[in-house]
Amino acid sequence: MLTELESAMNSLIDVYHKYSLEKGNYHALYRDDLKKLLETECPQYMKKKDADTWFKELDINSDGAINFEEFLILVIKAGVDAHKEIHKE
Amino acid sequence: MADEMSQLECSIETIINIFHQYSVRLGHPDTLNQRELKQLVKKELPNFLKKQKKNDNAINKIMEDLDTDGDKQLNFEEFSILVGRLTVASHEEMHKNAPEGEGHSHGPGFGEGGQGHCPSHGGHSHGGHSHGGHGHGHSH
Repeated sequence: MLTELESAMNSLIDVYHKYSLEKGNYHALYRDDLKKLLETECPQYMKKKDADTWFKELDINSDGAINFEEFLILVIKAGVDAHKEIHKE
Repeated sequence: MADEMSQLECSIETIINIFHQYSVRLGHPDTLNQRELKQLVKKELPNFLKKQKKNDNAINKIMEDLDTDGDKQLNFEEFSILVGRLTVASHEEMHKNAPEGEGHSHGPGFGEGGQGHCPSHGGHSHGGHSHGGHGHGHSH
């Protein structure tokens, strides 16, 4: 039986696939897929940076798609930000 | 915090909450020291760190590796790298165990079952994706 922490990590895999399986390669978020993910899952992260800026930042190998590892960069940034917010409140 | 969290927000919140459950125990309330990390690995990551959880030296090694600022503590920023690495490992494991065939599919990852607090809300449709063998097989 997985723990709550382990399930939360697997749930990140689910979130990625919800958008990456829409079209094309199964492990690729294209520009519009990323936009949809950001709008649906974390709209607050589009206030300072729009979807295009996020895309350029995350597409480290510049192949025009966000792979799973690149997506986790977003998750880590969002997580570190959320943690800072908690301590501000 | 919004009333209804997305699956991503819920997962992130869970990760932060678990980190805090251990970080507050000893010393600085917002960092994990060696003992707190050991407790966390043993209780919260028994399936993802199956081998390491029984081996204190292996956990010390993880600590050393993640402690990039060298203060013998893991802050949340350092801990999040472990979360990222383990999530990648879990995803790879699902693909290692994936049934053969067309489309994208996952086999069981580390350990069995466990739905957690952040279920998928659904509403998206895509072809050929299924998770099998760990209690919540679904295909869209």
